[in-house]
Amino acid sequence: MRVISGNPDATIDRSKRDFLRAAMALLAGLSLPRTSLAGGGQHGAGGSGQRVVMVVFGGVRRIETFSPQGLVNIPHLSGDLLPQSLFYRDARNEGVTAHFNAISSILTGNWQRVDDWGKLAPTTPTLFEQFRKGLGAAQSDTWVVASNKALTNLIGASSATDYGPPYGANVVFPKQLMVAAVANALRAGRSRNMADRAKIEAELQSMLEAGNYEGLGWSVFDAAERLDPRVRGTIEEAITSFVRSGGPTSGDELTFLVSREVMRRFSPRLLVVIFSDVEVAHFGSYAMHVGGIRTGDRLSYQMWQEIQANSEYKGKTTMVVMPEFGRDPDGSTTNGFFNHRGDTESTRGTWMMALGAAVEKPQIIERPIRHVDLCATLGDLLGCPPMESQGVRLKELRG
Amino acid sequence: MNKQVQEKLPEKLQEALDKGLLKRLPITFQPFTRQQLRDWDVLFPYERQSILRLLLYLASLNEQQFTELFREVAQLEEKMGVRGWQFSTEEQTILNASLLARSRYYQDWRKAVQKVFDAAEQHAEGEKNTATGGNRLILMIMPQVLPLERAKVWERWQGVGRPVRLDLAMSRETQSAAEALLSAGSAGEGGRLLEVVSRRPNASPADCWVLDAGSRLVDCALRQGPSGTGAPTATLLSNERLATLRQNFSREVNTMRKDLADADAVFDRLRKADVTAWCPPEVASVPVIREFLRSLYLSGNGALIFSNSFVEWSASEAFRRARPSFVMAQFGVRSKPKPFTSVAVFDNPDEVNPLPAVDDLPGSALDAQVLALYVWLAASRYDDYRRNTVCLCIAESLSEAYVIAPPEFALWHEAEPVSLDRLRTTLTQWLA
Repeated sequence: MRVISGNPDATIDRSKRDFLRAAMALLAGLSLPRTSLAGGGQHGAGGSGQRVVMVVFGGVRRIETFSPQGLVNIPHLSGDLLPQSLFYRDARNEGVTAHFNAISSILTGNWQRVDDWGKLAPTTPTLFEQFRKGLGAAQSDTWVVASNKALTNLIGASSATDYGPPYGANVVFPKQLMVAAVANALRAGRSRNMADRAKIEAELQSMLEAGNYEGLGWSVFDAAERLDPRVRGTIEEAITSFVRSGGPTSGDELTFLVSREVMRRFSPRLLVVIFSDVEVAHFGSYAMHVGGIRTGDRLSYQMWQEIQANSEYKGKTTMVVMPEFGRDPDGSTTNGFFNHRGDTESTRGTWMMALGAAVEKPQIIERPIRHVDLCATLGDLLGCPPMESQGVRLKELRG
Repeated sequence: MNKQVQEKLPEKLQEALDKGLLKRLPITFQPFTRQQLRDWDVLFPYERQSILRLLLYLASLNEQQFTELFREVAQLEEKMGVRGWQFSTEEQTILNASLLARSRYYQDWRKAVQKVFDAAEQHAEGEKNTATGGNRLILMIMPQVLPLERAKVWERWQGVGRPVRLDLAMSRETQSAAEALLSAGSAGEGGRLLEVVSRRPNASPADCWVLDAGSRLVDCALRQGPSGTGAPTATLLSNERLATLRQNFSREVNTMRKDLADADAVFDRLRKADVTAWCPPEVASVPVIREFLRSLYLSGNGALIFSNSFVEWSASEAFRRARPSFVMAQFGVRSKPKPFTSVAVFDNPDEVNPLPAVDDLPGSALDAQVLALYVWLAASRYDDYRRNTVCLCIAESLSEAYVIAPPEFALWHEAEPVSLDRLRTTLTQWLA
């Protein structure tokens, strides 16, 4: 009796060469260096004038994404974006493979080991704080828009001495607004409203008016009880698009719409968008998990299209797309794709794609990089002073 | 937990405990061990044997051997600063798990702990009776309603077995192939599947499991019981018949705030709640199964949310905890997520949203294909299932089964379509 390999990466390795060959073919003809970082760049309170949009989407395995059998799930990333990207084939999470710690490690450039449920802030300064303190950037210049329920507003600023919330980012969790609206409607016996788009919109708007932004986990400007009118307008507009478009209604869709509206109204120089539809994997639906990957793929592409269409961003923005980590391999004691607890290649090995201004020429980088390498690199692009990080600057990304 | 009369621990084990064995264990070993001993009444026979072997092995070591065995674990606990943690030595808590998982030494600790278990296992191997415990069968069903693609359905199995064509024509009119397999059989043919298993030496309900994403299969098994109220020789778990238990658990879990202490408080409440009234009769009357379900639902993995996850996770936990000889698992259909509210709530979607539920047949089919493989992979982690085990996964809509079996299994080389009668006879013979 044969035993099935519990390691899907074995399959990837076998055909890695074919995949890379196909990818390189896609790159052919697109590898001439760009002449300049077009657009000049807008200098706010200081810095390089460059902008950064970081898109992080939950835990996804290589086998369901950048592998020969996974490409079907990521047509936009592999077909539309890969040929113009700087693609790091092996980006590794060497820290805690849980959401809050993974994202705070990416954002601080240091492996964080704090409370998994976001009750403790990262212990070293985030990129937001470095950017704001170092360059005097406004809070409205730095945003986190996230779907993930494991995060809290402490993701926006660290507990480090001389940094912290005064230099933190605006943090909003649009999905939490929806969760709260549903819960509120149920409590009040209005579950019938959930079948009527107009009434859903009213429920969402009334949650916005209720003003419990701390309860939603939001940290928007400095008033927990009063939402800045511009922010309110931003969220209202996104809600309207979400409810009335007739399109898909997942948490990531709402996160994308809020992010897009934030870009249109505030043009933050540093925007972090965190998708998490893929995390339905924890409940064991593989089909819905793969659906989440496809949504993340499409929304990443739409984000890139928004960057191209928005004059505040076009030509001066670097967009980075990466998963937080992989997921456990089939046959693992941790129940395979359901979880992300293993110390395995499938769980720790991911990829990273960079697009836009800082990409001198499209290429695939084989050298392994670590998630903590990104923070200092992006800080450098934004013009931040050198920061203390466990990571090393990625030399291929140039400001 | 709703405790019955406490059973006595085996004498040798009690002696070892009286001599202070537990106190000698490293801190991070204590929650698991203490919890197992406290739950002795509701452990499966295999689990009892397992913890007994471990603790008697530890008790047999002299001081130097004991220290040597745990040296690495103790060193890592020191490095991790476990003594300074708010770490429960009484039971496994979410806070414990969280503290361990975020330590930089977590993976090293896991490896060190595994080494201790391996040493105990190795020692037990030397003493164990070499009898294999008879043939085993894992029978899975992807029901007719699930649309499957012949060219792709077994792709994930990487050629570990082979497809066998089935002739299911006889079954479709009145009952599914799975029900026919379970219910047909005469004395001359060796009897029905469950009867055959129940006649094996050392047969017990823990040795024979029927897991059902719906209720038809379990209903069918229940009708075979002498009084029609239950088949005492098998563990019967129907996701549909467990709806009340599941909903009550979900309600409690949904009250949980995003806080480790609150999560532990909710879990503690659920560990102590008397769930008997929420269970169907075939579960309510069997404490060990009631507790199995409690722990299954508390361990997540979608068992509270999706019926196919319930089937897969139940099977995986059954293999781990009870090492059954016969597991029959039928997958089913879940609904599509409802617009808007599915962002917030997965369980009880009909309570939350009045829009009618719509079956997600292609999605359910994909889920079932992956989870069927996971059931097999879960079993194949254990030596007990590596030799004399047949795994047969039936795709009803394709009239095909995927078979993993030792060469002596009668259908292993079959080229012609196999009738349902022949399949049932072959399976009963394998188990008999």
